[in-house]
Parts: sequence; C-alpha cells; structure tokens
Amino acid sequence: MFFDVLLVGIMVGAIYTLVTIGYSMVYSILKLMNFAHGDVYIFGTFVCYSLLSTYHLNPIFAILVATVMGGMLAALVEVVAYRRLRSGQHRMISMITALGAAYVIQNANELSWGNQVLPFPTIVEAEAWHLFGLTIPVTQIITLSVAVGIIVLFTLFLKFHSYGKAILCVSEDIPTASLMGIPINRTISIVYFIGGLLGVIGGILYSTSYNAVSLAMGFRGTIIAFTAAIIGGIGSLSGALVGGMILGICENFVGVYISSAYRDPITFLFLIVILLIKPTGIMGSVEQSKV
Amino acid sequence: MTTKNSATAETLPVTGPHSHYPRLQTLYAPGVTRQAAIYGLLLIGLLLIPRVINNAYYLGIVNYIVLYSILCLGLNLILGYTGLLSLGHAAFYGLGGYTTAILMTRYGWGFLPCLLLSGMIALVFGILLGIPTRKVRGDYFCLLTIAFGEIFRLVAQAWIDFTNGAMGIVGIPIPRLLGWTIRTEVDFYYLGLGLLVFTVFTLILLIHSKFGRAFIAIREDELAASVMGINTAVYKIVVFAIGCFYAGLAGSYLAVYQTTVTPSNFRIEESCLMIIMVIVGGMGSLLAPIAGVLIMTIATEFFRGIAEYRMLIIGGIMVAVLLFRPQGIFGTSAFKD
Amino acid sequence: MNFLTAENIGKNFGGVAALSDISLTVDRGEIVGIIGPNGSGKTTLINNLSGLYTPSTGRFVFNDEDITGLPAHQITAKGISRTFQNLRVFPNISILHNILIGRHCRIDVSLWNVYFRIWHTRKIESEARKKAMQILELANLADRCQDLAKNLPYGEQRLLEICRAIVSDPELLLLDEPCAGMNPVEMDALADFIRVLQKKGITVIVIEHNMRFIMQVAQRLIVLESGRKFCEGTPAEIQKNKAVQDIYLGDEEEHAC
Repeated sequence: MFFDVLLVGIMVGAIYTLVTIGYSMVYSILKLMNFAHGDVYIFGTFVCYSLLSTYHLNPIFAILVATVMGGMLAALVEVVAYRRLRSGQHRMISMITALGAAYVIQNANELSWGNQVLPFPTIVEAEAWHLFGLTIPVTQIITLSVAVGIIVLFTLFLKFHSYGKAILCVSEDIPTASLMGIPINRTISIVYFIGGLLGVIGGILYSTSYNAVSLAMGFRGTIIAFTAAIIGGIGSLSGALVGGMILGICENFVGVYISSAYRDPITFLFLIVILLIKPTGIMGSVEQSKV
Repeated sequence: MTTKNSATAETLPVTGPHSHYPRLQTLYAPGVTRQAAIYGLLLIGLLLIPRVINNAYYLGIVNYIVLYSILCLGLNLILGYTGLLSLGHAAFYGLGGYTTAILMTRYGWGFLPCLLLSGMIALVFGILLGIPTRKVRGDYFCLLTIAFGEIFRLVAQAWIDFTNGAMGIVGIPIPRLLGWTIRTEVDFYYLGLGLLVFTVFTLILLIHSKFGRAFIAIREDELAASVMGINTAVYKIVVFAIGCFYAGLAGSYLAVYQTTVTPSNFRIEESCLMIIMVIVGGMGSLLAPIAGVLIMTIATEFFRGIAEYRMLIIGGIMVAVLLFRPQGIFGTSAFKD
Repeated sequence: MNFLTAENIGKNFGGVAALSDISLTVDRGEIVGIIGPNGSGKTTLINNLSGLYTPSTGRFVFNDEDITGLPAHQITAKGISRTFQNLRVFPNISILHNILIGRHCRIDVSLWNVYFRIWHTRKIESEARKKAMQILELANLADRCQDLAKNLPYGEQRLLEICRAIVSDPELLLLDEPCAGMNPVEMDALADFIRVLQKKGITVIVIEHNMRFIMQVAQRLIVLESGRKFCEGTPAEIQKNKAVQDIYLGDEEEHAC
C-alpha cells in the first residue's frame, strides 16, 4: 500500500515538475510571476480533449497539435502582454498585467469549454503489470516514463542545443547575453514556448491518468507551479524537480492517509511555510545585492 | 552661493510639471478651508442622490458602488501608496462579513458593535499578514496573500459548525443604528455613504501626515526610506492593518445589506476585481479608485446582456490599461512609463 | 566625550573580508575625507556605520553610545544621515515631499495625533514645512519646490539628496561620492555648500574619488586599501605620500590591462 501511494506520488511529482519548469524558467530570467501559466497549459489540455473526444483524431497527432498550440499561446501572451513591460517598470505592474492576462485566458477557456469537469479519454488501455510483488497500472508507468523522458530530453537540450545554451546565457545576465549576439526577444519567446509546451504535456498526462479536465485545474496548476518552484528554489531545473517531487509525494500521502479534502489546503500550507522559513527554496541560494 | 528668494511655506509657487500632490497637500497648509468647502459641496450633492434616483434597482447599483469604493480605497492604501500587492483583500472583507453575520445571528449583537468589531478583527488579521513582509520579499509576499485568501475561503467552506460551510449564514437581522432602522435601499445608501465619508476623511488625515509620506517612500525606494528614519517593517504592518480595517467595515455592511454571507462572496476573483478597479481608477491617488469602481460597475451593467463575454472584456481592459496607461485615469505619475 | 569612534570594524560577506580591523576617530566639527582605490571598502564602511549592514566584528561608538548593529532608521534618528553613491532621491514625487520625508524622524506625530489631535498635527506639519523650505532656500531650490525630483538636472538632484539628509538636523553627515557626474562648476558649489554645513555645526565624512575636490574640502584624510586602513593625515601629507600614490597606481595598472 505504501509503495503504491509512493509510486503515484512520484508520478504526480514528475507531472508537477513538467508544469513547474516553464514557470520557474520565466521567473528566474525575467522576475515575472507568470500568473497565466496554469491557464495556458489547461488551454492546451482542453484542446487535446476536443481533438480526441469531438474530432476523434489520432492520439499522437492530437497530443502534438495540442502541445504546440499551448506553446504558441504562451509565446503569444509574452509578445502581447509582457514584452512591453520588460524595461524597468515598477515590478508590481508586470505582476498585475500577468494577472490580467490570466483573467482573459481563463475566461476564454470558460467560454469555449465551460466550467464543468469534462471526461478526458484514456489514451492507453488500462492494464496492470506485476513487478516485485506490486501491482502497477500501466498508465502510471507510461506517465512516469514519458515525464522523466521529457525532463531528461530537456536537460540535454539545455546543455547541448544552441537554443538551450542561449537560454542558459539569457538566464544568467540579459545585457551580457545580448552583447554576445544572442537574440534576446527570440530566446525569451522560446522560453515561454517551451514552458507552455512542457506544461501542456504535464496537463495531458495528468488528465489522462485521472480521466478529468476542468477549468479549475488551470488555477490549481498555477498555484502548484508557484509552490513547487519556491520549495525547490526558483530558476534551476533541479529545483523544479525537487519541488515538484516533494509536492507530489506529500500531497498524495496526505490525500490518501488523511483526507482528499485536505489536498488543496496542504498545498497552500506548504507555500506559506516555505515562504516564511526559506523563501529561496531547498536548492536555492541567497542573493546579495549591492547597496 | 545662497540667494534668498521670496518663497516661503505660505506661498508655494507652482511651476513646471508637478506631482498630483499640490492639491491634496493643503490639509496641513493654507488653502485647507477652500478644499474643505469643495468637499462639503460634494457631500451635500451626494446626500441628495436618493432624491434624484428613485428607482430601487439603480439605487442598489449605487450602493454597490459605495461598497466597492470603501474596499478599493483601503486596497489603494496598500497597493497604490505603499506598493504591496495584496491578492487576499477579499479575505479581510470576508472576515468582517462573517464576524458581523455570526455575532448578529447567533449572539444577538447590535449592529454598531458588530461594525466596530468587524473592522478590528480584519485589522488584527491584517497585522498578522503584515508581519511576514519583513522576511518575505515583494513578489513572494503576493503569493502569501493568495494563500491566505484561499485558506480563508477553504476554512469558511469546511468549518461547517462555525460558518455553516458553503451554504453560508442566512437571515442576518435588520440593523438598527442609534434608533434608526436601516431597511430600505435609501436607508442603506445613507449608511454606506456614512462609512464612505468616514473612510475618505480618515484616509485624508493619514495620507497627508508623515505616515502617508512614509508609505510612498517605501513604495518608491524602501532602502532609502529606511535611511530616512522610517521603520519600514513596522510601517508596512501598519498600512496593512489600516487598509484591512476598511475591508472589515465593508464586510460588515455587506452582511446586513445582503442579509447573507457565503464563501463565494469572498473568492480570489473578488480580490482580482478590486485590483482591477484600483488600477483603472488610478493607483496612489486618494479618490482615484472611486473612478475605477464607477467605470467597472457601469461596464458590468452595460455588458450584462453579453454576460459571458463580460469577464473577458474586463480582463482585456485591465491588460490594455496596464500596457498603455499604468497610472490609470487619475493615478500618481510614479506608475507612468 | 568622543564624537565618533570605530573600533576594529570587520565585515565578511560569505568568506570574503570586505573590511578588516578598521579603527578610526572623528572629532565634532571636522570634515573628514575617506579615499582609496576601487573596492577598498569605503562604501561598505559607510553602509555598516549607517546601519544597512551589521559589522561582523568591532563596534561603532557615537556620542559615547554603542550604535553597532542598530537598524538604519534608528541610526538616522540618533543623528547620522547619509547620501548614496548612486543617487537615491525619490524621483516621482516633488522636491518638497522629498525633503519632508527626510524630516520624518523629527516630526513628532503619532497615529493617535493624526486621527484625534488634528490641530496639533497641523501645527507640527507646518513647522516641518517651514524647516523644509529653509533648507531649500539654502540650496536655491525653493522656487521649484513643487517640481518632480526627476525633472531636476543631475547636479541639483545630488544637491537635493544632501538637503534631504540634512533636514533632519543630523550631527554627522555621510556623503558617498557626492561629486560623481558633476562638472567643475557644480563641484565648487558643492564644496562651498559643505563648508556652509560645517559652519552650521554638522560634521561631515566624505567619500570621494575626485582628488581635486577632496583635497580642497577635507581637513583630514583616511586612506583605505583592500578593506583596511592604510594611513591617515592632512591632505598635504597624503599628497606627498608615495605609498598612497602607489596603491592608486597599482589600481590603475590593473585596470589598464
């Protein structure tokens, strides 16, 4: 029983990591809290839902289209709403603009898909494997593998692909990166695009596991991304991983052993505790700024 | 090097592009009687509104405008003057609402003590939320307020014995204030107006004092503010407490006006709506949020026909305002590009 | 009674010793200059004295009172004001308001007074305004007191920052590179202004890179190098001191490469 819960927790944690990476990257580079993050990824998930249920498209194709559309929406939000604010506005203005963008997207989602819980179709037929005396549903294994695989791919991308390396440079220091000839606007758009893409993948994996997708999951996704990013430490991939895992595993244990009604409050409690005790997160380090 | 000139504290010459403050500075300087006369005339006009608006439906809208004005004026103190982004303002609104609701329905308290206690309880929780501002940096503090707001709503929903859960508290009795029974829309208008006048007056006193300047200094440059002798940690707690006090008053008003309070009255969407109103009206300028409340309320009424698209348009307006005129209609130029 | 004493001040930032074992005294009424190559710890020393940092070791004694580790706002209230190297006026509010904020710690008004003793508050506020206007007249800014601070020319913004620091009637004023970005005319005016302040009884500590300025303004110089006190003396002595020239030359050589 314990290991079942743990395994589900790990699976959920991996999904949370996918959702968190995009948010964490954006914050570390631009110090902008992308409130619209969750609503963007739920848009992609909704698109996938429509493609699968209403149009009965091939799952692989549907997932591909949905993730790309999610990424594009994320980049669009950046270009339309955030780009103008990058130059030294009062930080609060950027945050509130993000809030406004979230508002717009959330309501657009609501108009298109309503605010009820929709049944997300299972992509893979449910079986169970028997490993080491445990019964593990295939969906969980697939979800976990896909999530982990994508995280690994992304890490390699950052290290070896030229766009990935550009992202790392930009996240260190924008003026220097631009002096090195790195196209800042394009790189930032790519950051948002990938963040949205990964988020949508995470959302699809989640919805497929739980057979549900709903508007409320958007806001919850944003909160999860915030919390996991802060727990693990903003800005690093490992931070997103650590934060996502901790959050996923703990949530699941609380949900099973205590009560599922406490799942949401637990997330917020985590957030509050971490903010009060160590806002830089587990993997983060304190920044000293010159006076 | 020094050449004396004729400028003194009594005659402050106005030259060049200046801030919004000259008009409002006059509270503690000459010219206050003229300002007071203007406000007095305005007040008389407002007192006569129920004579002009006979329709109960429209007067109800006016009452909502008054209510949200109180909320947004308090939020502007925290957000516009001090630069703290609080997305949990609705929770303090709720604390006030539930305090009055529970005390009046379950313990038979009169309205006036409930009103005061609602404000005080919101103030105390405001202090609690203000304390972490010392440790938790600006952006992260915003998350804390979101968490607080959500936890309030979740507790209100879950603690059924105390708050009656999602059903909320119903049957809040008709309030009486010093012998005056407040029953009709007109009665509630005068009650609301009284609270609004109180809010505006006390805010004027605060903003024109050294405290108001300290809040602005904290918003502009917290480090420099501390070097000016401003205990920034304490002042942030103070501004939070005061801003939330007004929210508590507003919650109390809502409780007796609606005769019910439910958790859905105090969701994060409410907080966001208040933020939008403050932004559109203008941050950091005393009465500017009222313009925001007016505009958003009228827009909501106007778009009632296409209700589903309403929120979309409102959100779009907010983003547009922030991109092209962040200081809102009447806000301080500190937020201009 | 000693005016200001620093005893063995040290400050570490995560293993890096920004200041080591700095001891100095300042007498009331002096104008003392602190000079040294880049990175020698001048601003760090001021930041520790004014309460933005807490020294890792050592203590500051001001008017026979140990002020080490007190927060910035308390140190200002005790009579030590400062300006910033990178100019921190409040750009979006008026000049008068900038000065009034500087007066904050001397305006004796509590929240209770604000709400319940309005006439009393009014009296104190208008006294504060008179004081603010006096300072502005001294600096020749009074006729523009309603202008936004950001609309002033750079040299006058620096002057405004100094005015904001002195309106609280400090006993000790710390100026961190006040000449940065000024032309020679503005610099001379600033030197005169500092002497006027001295006549008014304010002790001044000035950090500056500009040698011409500091030599004409300071009565005594303290030289820092790599976080330590290198030497001190009168401007004439320091000018002739070859060792001091060497530490600057070394700094130049590094930068020349």
